Amino acid sequence: MDTTVYVPIDDGARDAVAPTDHVPAVRARALTKTYGTGQAQVRALDGVDVDFAAGRFTAIMGPSGSGKSTLMHLLAGLDSATSGQAFLGTTDVTALGDKALTRLRRDRVGFVFQQFNLLPMFTAEQNITLPVELAGGTVDRAWFDTLVTTLGLSERLTHRPSELSGGQQQRVAIARALIAQPEVVFADEPTGNLDSRSGVEVLSFLRRSVRELGRTIIMVTHDPTAAAYADRVVLIADGRIAGEISDPTPEAVLAGLDALRSLETPVSDDVTPAGA
Amino acid sequence: MLRITLAQMRRSAGRLAAAGVAIVIGTAFVAATLLASGVITRMTYDSVAAQYGDADLVVGATQDAPLDVDALAATDGVAAVAPVTAIYAELTDGARSVYQSVVPTADDRLMPLEVTAGAMPSAAGEIALPADVADRLGVTLGDTVDVGRDVVGDDGSWRQVTETPAVVGLLDDPFGAYARTGGAAVVDAATYTTWQTEARGEPVAVTEAAVVVADGTDVTAAQSALAGTVGGATSTDSAPWVVTTDERAAESAAELTGGQDLMFLVFVLTFAAVALVVAGLVITNTFQVLVAQRARTLALLRCVGADKAQVGRSVLTEAAILGLVASVAGVLLGTALGQTALWVAHALDVPVPLPGAVALTWQVVVVPVLVGTVVTVGAALVPARVATRVAPLAALRPADSPSTSRRAGKVRLVLSLLTAAVGFGLLAAGAALGTVWQEPTLGLLAGIAGGALSFVGVAVGAVFWLPRVAAAAGRLVAASGPTARLAAANTLRNPRRTATTSTALLIGVTLVAMMTTGAASARTSLTAALDEQFPVDVMVTSTASDADGEQEALSGELRADVAAVDGVRATTDVSEILVRATSGAGSAATWLPLTAIDPAGGAEVLNAPDVLADLEPGTVLLGEVQAQDLALGTGDSVELTDTDGAVTVTVAVGASGDTSYLTTDDLAALSSDASVTGMYLALDDGVDAASAVGAIQDVVADSGESAQVTGVASQRALFDQVIDTMLGIVVGLLAVAVVIALIGVANTLSLSVIERRRESATLRAIGLSKAQLRGMLAIEGLLIAGVGAVLGVVLGLVYGWAGAGAALGIMGDVSLSVPWLEITLVLVVALVAGLVASVAPARTALKASPVEALATE
Ligand SMILES: Nc1ncnc2c1ncn2[C@@H]1O[C@H](COP(=O)(O)OP(=O)(O)O)[C@@H](O)[C@H]1O
Ligand SMILES: [Mg+2]
Repeated sequence: MDTTVYVPIDDGARDAVAPTDHVPAVRARALTKTYGTGQAQVRALDGVDVDFAAGRFTAIMGPSGSGKSTLMHLLAGLDSATSGQAFLGTTDVTALGDKALTRLRRDRVGFVFQQFNLLPMFTAEQNITLPVELAGGTVDRAWFDTLVTTLGLSERLTHRPSELSGGQQQRVAIARALIAQPEVVFADEPTGNLDSRSGVEVLSFLRRSVRELGRTIIMVTHDPTAAAYADRVVLIADGRIAGEISDPTPEAVLAGLDALRSLETPVSDDVTPAGA
Repeated sequence: MLRITLAQMRRSAGRLAAAGVAIVIGTAFVAATLLASGVITRMTYDSVAAQYGDADLVVGATQDAPLDVDALAATDGVAAVAPVTAIYAELTDGARSVYQSVVPTADDRLMPLEVTAGAMPSAAGEIALPADVADRLGVTLGDTVDVGRDVVGDDGSWRQVTETPAVVGLLDDPFGAYARTGGAAVVDAATYTTWQTEARGEPVAVTEAAVVVADGTDVTAAQSALAGTVGGATSTDSAPWVVTTDERAAESAAELTGGQDLMFLVFVLTFAAVALVVAGLVITNTFQVLVAQRARTLALLRCVGADKAQVGRSVLTEAAILGLVASVAGVLLGTALGQTALWVAHALDVPVPLPGAVALTWQVVVVPVLVGTVVTVGAALVPARVATRVAPLAALRPADSPSTSRRAGKVRLVLSLLTAAVGFGLLAAGAALGTVWQEPTLGLLAGIAGGALSFVGVAVGAVFWLPRVAAAAGRLVAASGPTARLAAANTLRNPRRTATTSTALLIGVTLVAMMTTGAASARTSLTAALDEQFPVDVMVTSTASDADGEQEALSGELRADVAAVDGVRATTDVSEILVRATSGAGSAATWLPLTAIDPAGGAEVLNAPDVLADLEPGTVLLGEVQAQDLALGTGDSVELTDTDGAVTVTVAVGASGDTSYLTTDDLAALSSDASVTGMYLALDDGVDAASAVGAIQDVVADSGESAQVTGVASQRALFDQVIDTMLGIVVGLLAVAVVIALIGVANTLSLSVIERRRESATLRAIGLSKAQLRGMLAIEGLLIAGVGAVLGVVLGLVYGWAGAGAALGIMGDVSLSVPWLEITLVLVVALVAGLVASVAPARTALKASPVEALATE
């Protein structure tokens, strides 16, 4: 896997924040999150400092319960931090109110969910364009066509989710996440509900979105094979950053996980070695 | 299994509670109705029983073998006896008079009236009056009052004799013994007997007497003794009889109400039934959603060995428990409402003697609980069947928001279409029978049968057509933006659920709209009929006649005063004369009553100005009856003769009802000294007719002239009032069904919201704002409620018009009115309620943080 240097695509709207390889799109500073109180208190995130570069595909990797999802929720402004800060570009998302967060989610962030979460009563096309419509904007047709072509959805636009395979549904979800040209797309276990063939398909599309369309993607996964599609893997254990791997291969990721395991107390059993 | 059922109920407690409210309201309605019916029966009984004072026994006999009061009094153990009797007399003081029932004095224990001031009369020339009657007459203690009573002479002739007894006592009727006859005045027993005898022309037999038993005497013993005295039995099966006061009162009360309370019960319970049907729909919907949401759990149960019957029974058990709990709560609520109503009535001092507490009979408890439980279980039958169809395999499928887009059966479609077609056919036939064939009874029967049948068809078929209407409405609103488009799409994803919810509302709204439309049409038709029959608002007619028997004139002064009364818009003078009409040479002259009027002035005041369109000098406008009597038709000529001459005029037979008109110009030729004997008045629009007529009556009374004031205006106001009261009661009763349906809308929305938790979270994650989420649910509420309400109004209009056609066709042209105000009100209430119904679900939906969209399970 080679790390191609990011070449900004010609996109006027994004010039203002024109990310380069070295400007982090997302940053966490001493980010901490605790759930519950007293005896039952869980420190899901414990003073996390991490940067995510723009125009890159980064995987957050770690055993189940290590805090991957929590980190992502805080970075995306979906949940409030107990202490510390999370920045999207120069915006401190931990300081925003609900209205500002809604606007942030509309314009600057996209999501891909494990369960696809498409609206069953809308067609693929309606699902894809929904975020733009909610924001009261007009769909950029050229961008829409680019997305649909890249994701191989041209033939499926009039289908409803129930008429699509899992992989196709997740590709629609990726298109939906990208339609508003957000600064960053967060994906939480996007292949968790897919068979391995569809999973590979989706991961390839995610990587193409970064390489060919110049997007920034942060993906949470516990699957080393999936993580290997990323440009960089951030390892997390027990709510702390435990290391990172550039230009990962499945073997490198597995090795990294093993290293974690030997450092840490027994990790939960569902860190499954990749089968593919 | 019961344990699992209970556990599931606990998990769904909130959702079940919301649906249970529908049953609570329905059963509270039934319980309150039964209680009210009980109160009415009690009131009648109490008032009847009160007539007997503190009597222990009542003795009865027939006219042929009457009672001997002295013999009764002499019987062992009898302390006092009083005949049960009353006569009527006219009490007058000055200008005011009251027709009043009069009873004789009796032993204190047998006298239900209480003296509030003064004393009971003890001698001739004294009278005690009910306090309110004394007030009305304007007399107090010590004053005299004129009592006009009938006396039958030896030759059988009647005359009225006036007595002037002094008022010695004022009375209160605390138990309402004479409430039904407007109270009773009391004179001493001897005077009473004289009056009663003279009024009949012979002594009046005593057929019923109340008896007080002496202290220390056993009532049963006294009863036997009295039975011995009169030679009768101790039951009323054959006269003479001696029974306890309670027995007698119960019997008279039953005779008095004779089925009326049953009619009341059936009438109100019809509305309770409608409310319960609507509640049933709400329950069906709730269970259908619950079963859909529990599909995985049910499948798991099937996987671990539960059979179909167990799953189905579990749902029904749940319904039975819900129904039972809700019904018991309903009975409690109904009882509390009934008791509160009594307290309020007592606090407001309503002038009828009400019992202090509602009577909780076993029927009041058992009937609503049984009905409520049966309705709930019945409503859960279909969802229970759906539950049995959940395959064990469903447990293995990925959890997805359940959707019940199962197609409804063809059989149902055909059945509902057939029923609706036959129903609407019958309805049309009913309207035609009423209007074309003038058969209101047959028309109404066909109309009611057709209406009920077609409505069943419409409601059963709702699942097919209602979602389409909702879709059309949805397309309309969807154009307004993504929020509305989401809402519209949501409304359609469970067509069955939307259909059931809207149908529940449709039922109530249809009935309300039907009633208001029917009432409005009845009002317009009645008004039109009245206008035709009584062409003017108010008539003032002289009633005095001079020595020759000619009607005396109304003075110019009085006419000016009347015209000046507030609310009188215009007046015109009329002269009523009797002329001789000869319709051709050689034919005999006939007396013809004519009203002479100035056509222009008449047009001003007549409600139907067209009536006088053909009246001009040289014509006589004949009423249809007179035209028939005289065998005259339009265009014929007739010679009219009176004191000063004769004129020959052309006949016009018009729509003037039974009045014939002549112009004042022609009158002058007939009789130079004809005087103004009456005036026609038109009232201002919107003026309170009753008070205007009252004011005119006052002016006439003050003038000292003898004139009669007749006002179709006040009659019309009376009609309006009757219609309004009936409508108010019916709509009030129907409102319960509408309220339940609106609870159903809120329930459906919140169930949908629970089901769509993940979806709401996703939408929030991809940029739906809180306001947009609220808006989306508000539009969903509006769509569901709006579709039901609009369709209900349309159906109601059709039914209302058909009903009016069937029932009122006989009165002439039926005016089909649209009660815009009421319909707007119904729509606004439904829409606002739809909006309000979305508030709580929106709050639940907003609680779902966007994080939930990412959560795995
Ligand atoms: N809403 C919550 N309430 C309490 N504890 C939570 C909550 N969400 C996550 N946790 C805990 O925080 C820790 C990290 O969770 P999460 O970020 O979901 O892990 P991962 O995604 O890596 O599996 C876990 O121990 C989990 O039990
Ligand atoms: Mg996770």
